[in-house]
Amino acid sequence: MIRFHRCLFYLYPPSYRREWREEMTAVFRDAQTDIRSRSLRERLAFDARETLGLLAGALQEHLRIVSGHSPLMSFTRFNMRPEFRFPRSTVVLMSVIFGGVMFAMKEASSIQAKYGLASESMWRTFPGFAGLTFGFALVMVAIAWAILFALGRSGVHRLENLPPGTKSE
Amino acid sequence: MDPLPLTEPVLLVLLSLAEQPRHGYSILKDVEQVSRGRVKLSTGTLYGALRRLLDDAWIERVAEDESPRDRRAYRLTPRGRRNLQLEVQRLKHITKLAALRIVRKEV
Repeated sequence: MIRFHRCLFYLYPPSYRREWREEMTAVFRDAQTDIRSRSLRERLAFDARETLGLLAGALQEHLRIVSGHSPLMSFTRFNMRPEFRFPRSTVVLMSVIFGGVMFAMKEASSIQAKYGLASESMWRTFPGFAGLTFGFALVMVAIAWAILFALGRSGVHRLENLPPGTKSE
Repeated sequence: MDPLPLTEPVLLVLLSLAEQPRHGYSILKDVEQVSRGRVKLSTGTLYGALRRLLDDAWIERVAEDESPRDRRAYRLTPRGRRNLQLEVQRLKHITKLAALRIVRKEV
């Protein structure tokens, strides 16, 4: 398990790995020694908890680097940051998505009216529907990733770290 | 920004450090004990919280020259202690209000 634990660390950003891996591995080793005398159920729960914790932690760290803050495992119960603003392009993208959904609903209504519900078996059209849904989800994820990537590359979030008086330079 | 309310794991980590400086494994054990076994933190969750608390200067590393790199201890900063006190006051207010309302309903 310790080897698996160490492998999962490669999912973390390199800077985080350098800073925390040694310490986290030592704590994990202590916790694992402690759990050895417990029941199989508790040991399995421990392994699952550790694995999920590392996966969530790695995701959190990557999101923090890209977007400048950690939306997961937030510090407070509701961590809406008032200073955060979506880029203007988000409004356009959301409008396009909304338009696409409305168009798909209209098309679906016309198809339903043309062929009727009873004449078509649901399972005949299901693969196409599932494929379209999957494709749509992929596009949405790509758009979300592109927005986060653009935010991270533009360096806008780093402006907050500048000392006062240097922002206008 | 108002830093409250805190999540339960973060509140328990801060409570653990309010008593004395602790290293990672000691925090894990104390959180489990204080929550009577209900909250069991993974190392990923614990160190995610510790890193954020360090970034926001709620906690700090205890400078121990002889302590090995994998046994670093942490303690509350004055800022962290103040925020913890605010959270405890907030919780006290809620429990007091809840007790009053429950009694009123029963009468």
